[in-house]
Amino acid sequence: METTTQPDVAHEDHHDDHDDHGHDNQHFLTKYVFSSDHKVIGIQYGVTSLLFLLVGFLLIMAMRWQIAKPGEAIPVMGTVLEHVYAHNNAGEPVFKDGVMSSDAYNQFGAMHGTIMVFLAVVPLGFAAFGNYVVPLQIGAPDMCFPRVNMASFWSFFLGCVVMTVSFFIPGGAAQAGWTSYSPLASVIPTDGQSFWLIGMILLITSSLLGAVNFIATIIQLRAPGMTWFRMPFFVWAQFITAFLLLLAFPPLEAAGIMQLMDRVADTSFFLPSGVFDTGSTPMAVSGGGSPLLWQHLFWFLGHPEVYVLILPAIGMVAEILCNNARRPLWGYKVMVAALFVLGFLSFIVWAHHMYLTGMSATVATFFQTTTMIISIPSVILLTCLFMTLWKGSIRFNPASMFALAFLPMFGIGGLTGLPLGFSFTDLHLHDSYYVIAHFHYVVAPGTLFAMFAGIYFWFPKMTGRKMNEYWGKVHFWGSLIFMNVIFMPMFIQGFAGLSRRMSDGGATYSLVQNPDVTSGALSDLIIHLNEYITLGAFGMFLIQIVFIVNFFHSIRNGEKVKNDNPVESTTLDWQTPTPPPHGNFLTEPEVHGEPYAYSVPGADKDYIPQNEPNRPKTA
Amino acid sequence: MAEEHNAEWYEKKFKPMIYLVGGVLIAGTIISFAADLMGIADKWGFSNAILFGLGVATVKASTVIYIFMHLKWDLKFKTISLTLLSTVLFFIGMMALTVGSENDYMKPGGEDSTWVHGKHVPTADENKTEEAPSN
Amino acid sequence: MEIPHNSTARPDTGLYNGKAGIWLFLASEVMLFGALFSAYLLLRVGAEPGNWSMGLMNKWVGAFNTLILIASSATVVLAWVSLKLKDWAGFKKWKIATVIFACMFLVVKWGYEWPAKFTHYDITFENDAAAKKVFAEVFDKKDYTDCEAAHKEIWEERYDAYNKHWKNVATKDKPLDGHIVGYWTADKDGTRHHHKVGAAFDVSFWSHAFAWRHDKRNKGRTAGGKRDTFDEKKIIAVDIEPAHGVWDKHKKHAAVIDRRYAEADDGKATDGGGTHNAVTIETSLISRVSSYEPAHSTFFAVYYTLTGLHALHVFGGILVMIYHLLPISRRMYESDPERFTNRIEIVGLFWHFVDLVWIFLFPILYLL
Repeated sequence: METTTQPDVAHEDHHDDHDDHGHDNQHFLTKYVFSSDHKVIGIQYGVTSLLFLLVGFLLIMAMRWQIAKPGEAIPVMGTVLEHVYAHNNAGEPVFKDGVMSSDAYNQFGAMHGTIMVFLAVVPLGFAAFGNYVVPLQIGAPDMCFPRVNMASFWSFFLGCVVMTVSFFIPGGAAQAGWTSYSPLASVIPTDGQSFWLIGMILLITSSLLGAVNFIATIIQLRAPGMTWFRMPFFVWAQFITAFLLLLAFPPLEAAGIMQLMDRVADTSFFLPSGVFDTGSTPMAVSGGGSPLLWQHLFWFLGHPEVYVLILPAIGMVAEILCNNARRPLWGYKVMVAALFVLGFLSFIVWAHHMYLTGMSATVATFFQTTTMIISIPSVILLTCLFMTLWKGSIRFNPASMFALAFLPMFGIGGLTGLPLGFSFTDLHLHDSYYVIAHFHYVVAPGTLFAMFAGIYFWFPKMTGRKMNEYWGKVHFWGSLIFMNVIFMPMFIQGFAGLSRRMSDGGATYSLVQNPDVTSGALSDLIIHLNEYITLGAFGMFLIQIVFIVNFFHSIRNGEKVKNDNPVESTTLDWQTPTPPPHGNFLTEPEVHGEPYAYSVPGADKDYIPQNEPNRPKTA
Repeated sequence: MAEEHNAEWYEKKFKPMIYLVGGVLIAGTIISFAADLMGIADKWGFSNAILFGLGVATVKASTVIYIFMHLKWDLKFKTISLTLLSTVLFFIGMMALTVGSENDYMKPGGEDSTWVHGKHVPTADENKTEEAPSN
Repeated sequence: MEIPHNSTARPDTGLYNGKAGIWLFLASEVMLFGALFSAYLLLRVGAEPGNWSMGLMNKWVGAFNTLILIASSATVVLAWVSLKLKDWAGFKKWKIATVIFACMFLVVKWGYEWPAKFTHYDITFENDAAAKKVFAEVFDKKDYTDCEAAHKEIWEERYDAYNKHWKNVATKDKPLDGHIVGYWTADKDGTRHHHKVGAAFDVSFWSHAFAWRHDKRNKGRTAGGKRDTFDEKKIIAVDIEPAHGVWDKHKKHAAVIDRRYAEADDGKATDGGGTHNAVTIETSLISRVSSYEPAHSTFFAVYYTLTGLHALHVFGGILVMIYHLLPISRRMYESDPERFTNRIEIVGLFWHFVDLVWIFLFPILYLL
């Protein structure tokens, strides 16, 4: 079935469709800004999230300077920040003489985490790629609720605006970490903390609307013949991710409302009796609250959230590896089962983030056990992805290279999580740089590599042009090397006892400043590693410039693709015109076979598209 | 999966059911309110009062879910019941974990829960440390 | 471009799109209210003895609201059934009834219940001696030991319904509650002046909603200090009318109709003429003054959050239901009756969820 007719034909076909919103005469605003088309919304999410990815990266680079060279002025940016940034609540300048104060460090740190998790990675993996690709892959004309989809994006956008604005109000942005623990977060006078809560409520609303949309779309709008087990694995991953968002976010929304009430209405949800906020006078609040309540509610979301970060990535890697290895997904059904088990278990492991709160050994054991069990489905997923490569003829292009690198990087990240999952080893490692290294390995060379792979992979479908392959490979090798330069030494620092969130990079506890301390002080090596890590961070930034230039340059000047399916994919998203028109498919697709019919014996090509009716019996 | 109904069914069967459920809900409210006014907590103990109150609430909720929300005809009875039951059990399990995480009978000094504001009885060792000179 | 299965159900799932969507949304709402209920549970289990304000809710109002919501739940289904029977007039009738019941609920809650709490104050005392002195005056007895039994009875009725905390809580922590009806200031030479409580925002009702705040822990604060009415108005004593119907039972004079003004210095009577059931308390004896607002205690914090969020859902539901009664909806019904009927079903499902939350809220907050 040929689907390579030009987009103009799609319009002609729909002229007499009374539901057609007069596409030819659509106002610019309705077509490109306030659009309800899932592809436009996907791109909107993508652009916004990539922008915030960059912002989050800039924040951490400023912080890395301070960590490596505490007390030294940041070159160039220091003077800029000094003028742009206001004073903190005590009236002191936050970037005096271009030096990052600890207040500024805390602000940047809290916002780096918040921006990366909620404004960059989740919107990119779940909302951007999900919105664009999922309806295409299931053969749907759009999402189930297009206008809810639009509301979801604009709520997200508003949340982003609120978060950004918080930097520039007096007192600055939120400072209590991306985890916003009370009592500090309830008590700190910075208005930015309240802005953070309002921004979070908007972002959570956006995610909830999106999650409802995704699940309903996958249930209701699969094309004829697209049974549940003929869906591409990416769709399954997004399905489970959507359930995690749907069920795990509301408790954080409730907690956010409660913390906002603590700040604005003087309640004591999270303030225990006898809290002192200034000197020796107790706070005039009712007391009787519990800081642990916040932690429980936060991490009840927080843990499923990390699976929200990784599952779309695993889905994308599955698509890209199958396509570039010319092999079906090894253990498709087992992988789907692993997704379900992972999703369910992710709700009952949250307190492994709270081992040091004084919980009883019994409950700690419970969470430790569930945490160990949850590693099993993760390993199954990774193993099946590895096995997919067996007997494959692997094509090496930037997309496949990032996808391949994802495997060992995510493996390192996952394996290094095991000592953190055990409560006895976590006693030493909690809140140290080991934790930072672990979770960055999973998200940075893990999820982000998958995102890069996805961008390189689907770029031709979205634009009709390829990104430059040479510079893509440069981007890949540079990113791989620098990621490891940045995060591998952090494991060592963590073992040595370097705490996270220290604005001087541990200098206070170093041997240099404590020459009399015989054990436990941080050695010179550990402190020096900070400098190498910072150099790695700046190198990483330079490599991303290559990617950014490649991305924008290729939109207009990239090599044009020769047909609608240049990657020779089996899935429906590549069986549409390029780029897909409003309504996606010219005629409703009919699915006749499995999603990864690559290298099927007896077939004339090494791939059989899902909507191809004539296929050997085995596929 | 969902059962379809005709007009007659709505008129003759469903509408009376609505009124019946309304009656059950009103009765349930009156029962739990009356029980409280009569001091059920004193007569039966607080835990039993909780069970009674939440039990009545569960009955009311079930009628709303099965009849008003039409689930009885949308899904199999078994499916709904299992889903509701698992939700309740999940909630109970979670609360047990969070509240239970504050209890620890293995801390030094004996039973000492952070939720129970009891007095800490210093052990012999602690008394000794207090007498040690501070440097 | 049509989205399939908007009006008619998809054969293999038996759902039309909106139904799938609303049930998913309700699942997330279950988690939202579930989180708040679990917060309530944790805060209650963890509260110090006597620090959990029970017995301060008006159960009759709560029960009345429950019955109203039940009625609205039934009428919203009847509205949908009417549409299934293609009876627009019936639909309109039942839908308007639902909206009326829902508005009644909000009027009772936001118009009576909450404002009544915002104008009702707790006064907690500096120490046991101060507390006993005031309580003795409230009971018209010479010595607190003479009235301890009466105080116990009231305190149990109001705060300790299951007789668990009376023993553990000191007298200074047992607040005196009621309406503030007047206050006293002093000149430099010591002459005391009485003032009646005035109106705020030009509305007499708001005369003392949120207006009175005092917490001795705010004294001398330079940073983070909150508003303190005693400091602002240089008050040396307040007149409080102990809560009608509760404390009054034990006073010499008969129970009084609730009023907000005592007889003022200027000799002018207030709206109704008082029987002077107010008690004057020197500010030196007072540790804290707070109305029954969210900041009062964690019980009220969680109460207002739970019922407030619930009320916002009721309000949202009302807006949508009004929209369904407007001419624009009539037009949709005429062009695509099935799709419109589905919309009504979806709103009905949302409404039933709102009712479900209240079914659990009522016993948990008001009764248990």
